Amino acid sequence: MRPIVEKADPGSSDSSAKVRGRGLTQETFYLRATRLARLSRGGDRHLTLVLEWEEGGHPFTIRDNFNQSLRASQRLLLEAGGRAHLLSASGRVLSQPATPEARFVSAFAEGPVKAALADLPPLRALLTVTSGAARCGRLALVDGGGKTRVSANLRELCPIDGDSIVLVTVGELRGYGGALRDLLSRLHACDAMPLAAGNLYRVMHPASMSYTARPSVEVRREDTAFDAANALIGAHLPIVRANEPGIVADIDTEFLHDYRIALRKIRSVLSLFKGVYAPEQTVALKARFAALMAPTGPLRDDDVYLLERRSFYAMVPDTMHGGLDRMFERVGQRRLAAWAGLADRLRGKGYIREIEALMDLFSRRKTLLPGPNADRMSQDLASELIRKRYRRIRRIAAGLTAGMPDDEVHALRVECKKLRYLIEFFGPMFQQDVLHDILKSLKKLQDSLGSFNDCVVQQAGLLAFLDDLGDEPRRLEIAQSIGALVTVLHQRQIVEHEKIVQAFAHFSGDGMRQAFRRLFHDGKDI
Amino acid sequence: MQIIACYSNKGGVGKTATAVNLAYAFAASGRRTLLCDLDPQGASGFYFRVKPSGKLTEARFFGDTDRVAKSIRGSDYDNLDILPANMAFRDFDIFLSRMKDGRSQLKKVLKSVKSDYDVALLDCPPNISMLSENVFRAADAVVVPLIPTTLSQRTFEQLQTFFRENNLQEKKIHAFFSMVQGVKNLHHDVIAEMTQAWPERFMQSQIPFASEIERMGLTRAPVLATSWQGPASQAYQALSDELDRRMNE
Repeated sequence: MRPIVEKADPGSSDSSAKVRGRGLTQETFYLRATRLARLSRGGDRHLTLVLEWEEGGHPFTIRDNFNQSLRASQRLLLEAGGRAHLLSASGRVLSQPATPEARFVSAFAEGPVKAALADLPPLRALLTVTSGAARCGRLALVDGGGKTRVSANLRELCPIDGDSIVLVTVGELRGYGGALRDLLSRLHACDAMPLAAGNLYRVMHPASMSYTARPSVEVRREDTAFDAANALIGAHLPIVRANEPGIVADIDTEFLHDYRIALRKIRSVLSLFKGVYAPEQTVALKARFAALMAPTGPLRDDDVYLLERRSFYAMVPDTMHGGLDRMFERVGQRRLAAWAGLADRLRGKGYIREIEALMDLFSRRKTLLPGPNADRMSQDLASELIRKRYRRIRRIAAGLTAGMPDDEVHALRVECKKLRYLIEFFGPMFQQDVLHDILKSLKKLQDSLGSFNDCVVQQAGLLAFLDDLGDEPRRLEIAQSIGALVTVLHQRQIVEHEKIVQAFAHFSGDGMRQAFRRLFHDGKDI
Repeated sequence: MQIIACYSNKGGVGKTATAVNLAYAFAASGRRTLLCDLDPQGASGFYFRVKPSGKLTEARFFGDTDRVAKSIRGSDYDNLDILPANMAFRDFDIFLSRMKDGRSQLKKVLKSVKSDYDVALLDCPPNISMLSENVFRAADAVVVPLIPTTLSQRTFEQLQTFFRENNLQEKKIHAFFSMVQGVKNLHHDVIAEMTQAWPERFMQSQIPFASEIERMGLTRAPVLATSWQGPASQAYQALSDELDRRMNE
């Protein structure tokens, strides 16, 4: 068996994939380190398993975002030995110098890994999934003449806490398909899993939790409206809780964003499913969830400003950038204060007591009081609510003109959002292809409404910011920049208004009306 | 795909050792490399522990390009595959003489695997024959090892004459001195004389006479893989780098 020779860096760090360009199998598996020894058992007796480990180890870190986007896309981001390696289920391994201090992909050094990670949500920070000590090795099946028939690169990962695993990247050698099949069957016998199986984190840490901001709640047609509401709220409360640590640690803006969306959905269930809970309990619950939501507003507003920073700079000439610098400096300070306040609140006893009480209420459900509509079938209620909402939207849309006041457009936006939530809550009960068309049209409309609303809110926010400047020494400079921004935003608002009119024409047209009729009204007119 | 032929019209000059180590060096630099063992006497495949291909007769070699691709075997090294020798290659000349357009056949075979490789290295049999001519025509470079003796001068002249008579480009020839023994005056004199006579044809890199190259028969691996710090390895690496530069000029 030849020694492990450190391969010369061929410039492109993707050489292995290039070699495999002619259809040779290359695939990455993982198995518990304790099972590796079993690989030598069984298999073709003419082939001997040779296992070699390099001397010395090195620290490793597995990184992924909170959504576990990499795991979901069957990839593994491993930082080890000063390099970042991106392993994919196809066995392709990309690598480049690591940037351990980079929290976002955008801060990575340029290279093939950064390029391949361009599909990750840009606003989500990369977190440490696990870290520990790693060592590299190689295994081969060798014939009687000492020729390697198939080989695999090994990487043993021993996390600080958790179970050790071995990553096995198998590479077929041209002309030796039989040996490849032999190795694959040996791996199978050792319970090795392909990277695509997606539970590597859990194998290393059985307590590892996966997160999704959109829980799938199976509401069945025959479920009562009361059960459906309980299930929906019960599924979104853990999302609220899951995001608390990320907000407190200020990891990225999406923790607060997801936290707010989960709360908003809960509040939608309470306000849209009328009569499902007893009236006095509905009022009380609405107030309790509104109280959770209210303190999050200022931080989210500032987050949005800061996320829009680059586009604000692009809107005005360079000469006005000085004013923007100062403005964003102040927004940054304000944001820090808003975050500190919210973090304190989320850590506080009062908040914890309240959220735990709500969790308890919706998990035990004993003290939830059914209202007059509690026993209605979900499908009936859903169809009625959706029909009602669609009718209301069409009514407003009929009066949509260029001169419509901003607050009416805002009201439309709210109606559309409610409709969207309703369709999402009850979607699985209805015919999927028609539903897909409706959602597509609705989403287009909402995008325009959202852009319009952003323009309006940002103008108002900027003007309020101006009022709030007090004795700021560079007040004039900031005011000029804000003036320019407001002008551009106002022009954009006019353009977006036009788009809304067009999107509404489609959404309230005959085609959509028929789709709603078929899906939510047994073909009868809406 | 670049095609590099390792050729000598005289045996025992270190031709196969050169082909094996050049192939390894190209592969180690990240280029996908195919080493074709066209010399039934040679041992390129032996050095990589790849068994001769029983299935590949000469008729199939030229007639069934798909079968050629299937006969290729992965070596133990990244980016390096071997097309093992077939004993029937010794009858190539007879076979080729019967074929009308034999000269373009080799290129056709190589074309079938073209997209799989960046470099194809051909370890050629040691005589000027139809196959050799075929190789010279297909190759981008013909690497010629020569032991610095008076006899080599004659064989090198024969090779150049063959190129001229067959309208082949002489600039494809990249000769170098092999099995050089520093203690021999004769070697010094021949090297000086030949380099002066054909300055453009000779590379500066030389391969010394080294026991580690002889030991390749025992280790069955390129010296670059087993003792990369040794003088022979360094010489092969330098030769590979120089050839690379000359081909890209």
